[in-house]
Amino acid sequence: MFKELSDAVVTCKKDVVTAAVEKAKGEGIPAPEIIEKGLAAGMNEVGVLFERGKLFLPHVMMAAGAMEEGVALLEADMPKDAVSKKLGVIVNGTVEGDVHDIGKSIVSTMLQSAGFEVHDIGRDVPLQDFVDKINETNANMVGMSALMTTTLPGQKEVIEMLKEQGLRDKVKVMVGGAPATQAWAEKIGADCYAENASEAVVKAKELLL
Amino acid sequence: MATEYKLRMGDGKRIFMTKEQIIADLKEGMADAADLGEIPDLSEDEIDKLVEIVTMPSRMVGVEQGKEVPVTHDIGTIRIDGDQGNSGVGIPSSRLVGAMMHERAFGADTMELGHIDYSYKPVKPVIAQEMQTMEVCQANMVVPLLYGAMPNMGLYYTPDGPFPNPGDLMKAFKIQEAQESMQHAAEHLTRDTVWIMQRLMASGADGVNFDTIGAAGDGDMYASLHAIEALRKQYPDIYIEAGMAGELLLGLHGEMEYDGTVLAGLWPHQQAPLAAKAGANVFGPVVNTNTSKSSAWNLGRAVTFIKAAVKASPIPCHVNMGMGVGSIPMFETPTIDAVSRASKAMVEIAGVDGI
Repeated sequence: MFKELSDAVVTCKKDVVTAAVEKAKGEGIPAPEIIEKGLAAGMNEVGVLFERGKLFLPHVMMAAGAMEEGVALLEADMPKDAVSKKLGVIVNGTVEGDVHDIGKSIVSTMLQSAGFEVHDIGRDVPLQDFVDKINETNANMVGMSALMTTTLPGQKEVIEMLKEQGLRDKVKVMVGGAPATQAWAEKIGADCYAENASEAVVKAKELLL
Repeated sequence: MATEYKLRMGDGKRIFMTKEQIIADLKEGMADAADLGEIPDLSEDEIDKLVEIVTMPSRMVGVEQGKEVPVTHDIGTIRIDGDQGNSGVGIPSSRLVGAMMHERAFGADTMELGHIDYSYKPVKPVIAQEMQTMEVCQANMVVPLLYGAMPNMGLYYTPDGPFPNPGDLMKAFKIQEAQESMQHAAEHLTRDTVWIMQRLMASGADGVNFDTIGAAGDGDMYASLHAIEALRKQYPDIYIEAGMAGELLLGLHGEMEYDGTVLAGLWPHQQAPLAAKAGANVFGPVVNTNTSKSSAWNLGRAVTFIKAAVKASPIPCHVNMGMGVGSIPMFETPTIDAVSRASKAMVEIAGVDGI
């Protein structure tokens, strides 16, 4: 049944997902398991297919929409504290001086599709705005993109600002963008580096769940 | 203790590997490309040749005599004058001087004139200056001088352009609106590129370089192919180079087609025939470097992808080699040991026609 639920999400069709969820409920499978082992597993597969060029961004969004419909059918059966609970709150943006937008937006979309509450604050974002948005949304992760070697140091500066304002221990830091590397992430004290959008989702889950 | 060879990580870090480790990484990288692109593995002989290239004791290696290929430079006219913000070296000079230095001192076989913003859209308000510079350069140079820039369709979306940002629309589940925005942006990008090149051709340009096609996804490719088609129709002798932004054509729209082929999700060997069909003379395939893997892994992967592209392409392939592509490390000034090995492998194993 879990495979059927997962495959339903990969079809990206709401009616297929809702039918699979109703069937799983009828078989007495607990709602949290339907979501975790079925629907969420399907979204993971959608992410893999996106990176392999087999599914595209509209499909990712359609699959996410279909999964939301499926989850809505299960809300009444979910433990009260689990209803509408997001996986985490993430502030995501491209650092000041850097106008690159598309890769960062794909990461935001994939994180949102995976169940995170994402606040995409755009590109060429003043560094203080990252800190302000973290405070405003009570975020537990910040994602910073930089596509140029000249703007990369902005990621380091935000980490320093988080330390100065006593936020560093409360917020996980993810960095990415073409010139960013694992070595760079380690050097500046980030919690992780993600090579692409799918890896960003995997790393965010590892750090926040 | 087994002999260890000096290699690089994809981020440029120096590492040491045994021959067995190198072979394992070459094969793993090759298998990744073969799996993703659904293309053939390299032969055992080709793997042996790669091992030989990687383990050569010289710091710098070169192709065998008689296997030299043309070398084309993008953005070179401002690489001399530009600062580190655009990979330049900060030596005050005009674009004419930059172009002539590449022609007469650096051995460039073709050259391109490029604007500091290096996208087509920002050329529109300074077209008169670009026309005059092209004319002056042509009057002083012998090698073919193209005009080059990035299609960069992202400049047509808010806040840089007139159309709603598809990224924002997608996140709001407004999928159809996002696709419509991409369609409109693509039409404007095609129109602008053709308009700009009509004027530069009137100023003596030998051709055009579409640099980093697909940076804004499948719509970017759609617009570029239609611009290539229109330019080929109007100028039968124009030299057109179609260079890609990345190995996989990202499906942001997902349904755009060219000549009956869905553009989203295409790999280099599938992109090349479309560039040729549109009317390009040269195709520039790209394979991205993974910074977390060794140069052996990246080289095995890149050569596998590019070999398949060369085989599938009806037109010459000039592979993109530079910071973060073609198995060259992601480093502002890539090290010569990695650059020369990757270049030799691309020519002698992948069979590229130029770099």
